[in-house]
Amino acid sequence: MWLRKRTGDAQLDRELRYHFDSLVRDSIAAGVPPDEARRRARLEFGGLAQITEECRDARGRWLDDFGRDLRYTARSLRRSPGFLVVSVLSLALGVGANTAIFSLMNALMLRSLPVREPQRLVQITRVDAHGKPLNVSWQLYQYFRDHLKLISAATAEQDARPVIVVGGADEVVSAAFVSGYHYRVLGVEPVAGRLLEPGDNTLASSSAAVISYGYWLHRFGLNPGALGKTFTIEGHSNLFTIVGVTPPQYHGTVLGNDPDITVPAAMMLSADERNDPTLNNFKMLGRLAPGATRQQANAELEVLFRAFQQRVAATLPEQDRPSYLQERAAVLSGMNGFDPLRDRYSEALAVLMGVVALVLLLVCANLSGLLLARAASRKREISIRLAIGAGRERLVRQFLTESFVLAALGGSAGLLLARWFSKAIVTTMANGDVVTLSTAPDWRVLSFTAVISLLACVLAGLAPGLHALRASVERGLRQSRSGGHQRLGRFLLIAQLSISMVLVTGAALFSATLVKLYSVDRGFRTQGVLTFSLRTSGPCPSERCRTAAATLLDSLNHLPGVVSASAVDVLPISGSLWARDIEVEGYTFSAGENQTAAFNAIAPKYFATVETPLLRGREFDSHDTSTARKVAVVNESFARSFFGAASPLGLMVTCRQLRYEIVGVVADAKYTDVKQPLIRTMYIPWTQRTEEEPTDFNFLARATGGDPVRLAPTLEKLIREADPALRLSTTAAWSAVADRTIVTERMMAALGSFFGLVALIVACLGIFGVMAFRVSRRVNEIGVRMALGASRTGIAKLVLREAVAMLLAGCLPARRAAGVDPMTALRSE
Amino acid sequence: MLVLKIVALEPIHGYGIAQRIRQISEDVLQVQQGSLYPALHRLEKRGWLRGEWGEAETGREAKFYSLTKAGRKQLEDESANWDRLSYAVTAIMRTVQE
Repeated sequence: MWLRKRTGDAQLDRELRYHFDSLVRDSIAAGVPPDEARRRARLEFGGLAQITEECRDARGRWLDDFGRDLRYTARSLRRSPGFLVVSVLSLALGVGANTAIFSLMNALMLRSLPVREPQRLVQITRVDAHGKPLNVSWQLYQYFRDHLKLISAATAEQDARPVIVVGGADEVVSAAFVSGYHYRVLGVEPVAGRLLEPGDNTLASSSAAVISYGYWLHRFGLNPGALGKTFTIEGHSNLFTIVGVTPPQYHGTVLGNDPDITVPAAMMLSADERNDPTLNNFKMLGRLAPGATRQQANAELEVLFRAFQQRVAATLPEQDRPSYLQERAAVLSGMNGFDPLRDRYSEALAVLMGVVALVLLLVCANLSGLLLARAASRKREISIRLAIGAGRERLVRQFLTESFVLAALGGSAGLLLARWFSKAIVTTMANGDVVTLSTAPDWRVLSFTAVISLLACVLAGLAPGLHALRASVERGLRQSRSGGHQRLGRFLLIAQLSISMVLVTGAALFSATLVKLYSVDRGFRTQGVLTFSLRTSGPCPSERCRTAAATLLDSLNHLPGVVSASAVDVLPISGSLWARDIEVEGYTFSAGENQTAAFNAIAPKYFATVETPLLRGREFDSHDTSTARKVAVVNESFARSFFGAASPLGLMVTCRQLRYEIVGVVADAKYTDVKQPLIRTMYIPWTQRTEEEPTDFNFLARATGGDPVRLAPTLEKLIREADPALRLSTTAAWSAVADRTIVTERMMAALGSFFGLVALIVACLGIFGVMAFRVSRRVNEIGVRMALGASRTGIAKLVLREAVAMLLAGCLPARRAAGVDPMTALRSE
Repeated sequence: MLVLKIVALEPIHGYGIAQRIRQISEDVLQVQQGSLYPALHRLEKRGWLRGEWGEAETGREAKFYSLTKAGRKQLEDESANWDRLSYAVTAIMRTVQE
């Protein structure tokens, strides 16, 4: 650009000089003396510089001027590094926060699967009352696949985290069990080898498997030799051979769960999963037939599902039929794949988007204030430029160039910050789980960043720019100190204060919600308890396994450093619930009354381990074996709702033809998570729950103090001593598991506080900047006041009074904001 | 239009254009250099003229302007317009005199 302009100007100069010289030469030829000839030529020619300018105008000078403005801006910004640092930093914070939240929303809601024609992909699914998707059974999948005419092809998949044995070493991987048509339906092409085909989905003893690009990279270093390697999956006898690799941009169809390995589902299904039409463990995707719309397919599906329900309902026990017949199914968009995270976090992200938008607004106000102060200090310069003939439009362009440079700098810095922000948020959301969520910026994120940084800068730059221009030439040159900036400056400052107050109040509310959740009486104490689960390595018959688990608990209970140890089927406040319909002796349910109670199976010493007080009767002990009389312990809510104040000891509860005698009453405790109200709960001994193996239970060990995770190494040894076929599967502190049920609240509190802090910092910078500027504007006035006898403290008071007045003005909207509870939206469940 | 017409005869430099206009119009029309060059550059930017550096009759380098295709078409349009206009003006003047 520089070069072009230079040669352009030089050429113009040469062209004009030729004309001038020719004029002189012709005059001399006509007999005029050289000096006189030159004088005449100059007269005739007029101002050389003027013609040059006009030619430039004629050629169009926008680009030239832009380059000039850029250089000028760079020079002037370098002269005021303080302004540069503060404004770029606050822009980076604002833009970074917005970009981070937006890229999360983008990853969760906007980005479609990297497959062929994603808009033709549909989820074929049962739906809950809110229209949210639920899993389908293998039977239902097959039925839909074979009968839906408007769906050209369909696939089902199940996600798992199995242990696989590769080259003699075992490791836990994320896996997908899929139907043979999976990749055909999706339209995904391999980067190496081949993908699974319908022929792979058989009950053969050896089968093909596909690995992800990421797994290929981390486990095999992209070595082509990975193809042909074999592995086994624990609990299954099949041998799998790796035949291909999925492309790097493909991360599976379930958001947040990137399958390392994908194997055909056929041999992974249990007999129950294969045959039970109500065992819903699968997610189903289909491709619309050519010409079919989702609405048409949905209509067809509803009819088909009704027929399926009628057929299945006939085989179900009487009392299960009504609820089964109420189930609904639908064809939903499958463009974005399955998204368990979307449902969980979309509301939180929407609230956060609002929060960061406020942060950006704050940054705008702040930047505007800074620019205003800057414009005021440059008033003289502007007046001079106006006086020597610069157009107002030209000056506005100069201001906009400055904004553009700031936007570019702030935007790029913001983009970097956003990468870091969104990673931190994903980690919070995952909370110990493995969540692979690609937040890498794509064109959507990049354009979003560009647009908001530009918008912020133009918004921030426009008002001070126009304001500065309104100043007349003479007044500026006289360096008068009674600027009209005062009102705008004060307004901006109040705006900043109000916004930051709102944000800080919001942060306080989020934190208060969290504190409330933590201080809720849970009915047990999670601190100091280690939870772990077992897995088998090699065959371990049920009976032997149960004995080994009992032995393990016994030795744990005698281990120094362990207060008490037990096991439980469903770990409380881990998000799961197990509930069943019951009949209670001496109590008649009225029509339509809810007959369910929560269930849980526990090992002896459970209540001692979790520190739930026993109110009446006894806990389970080693005498409650599988062959002994069936017994149950109920909680207070259970006892109160069926027996009032009377003692329930000795009374019978029936569930699924099994009669349990109530032998004890315990205090109430939370079940699913801390946000749910207390529910009536019935506990049965784990020995009398024959459907489940010890590997299905969660083991608990209360340590004598400190971090319970330190028990883990000793555990390994104890487990092997109990049975050589048993292994430690997972360990975690119970409190950490419990935290997972309040991830949203923790995230909101953490991010809310963070953004509140950012808001405070930005606002402080703003207040400092604007107050300093206002004081400098009033130097004359202050000088006069002091000359008239005002004391130093008097002046300080004057300035402080003004600051406090503005602070109070800023507090008003904050008070209104404090009346709103932002968590209401999040607690809608 | 005048500039285009003169350039249409042969490639010519700015000084030449000024001289030519003065000669042909027998000193009735004098083009100000102050407006000639901006006009030339504007025409060049619009794509009606093309500027090329070449050797002038004096042996010095000068920028010669020639007509482009678009310029030729523009010239035709403008002369047609001018013909119509001057015919109309002449006709009116004649009527008024009678």
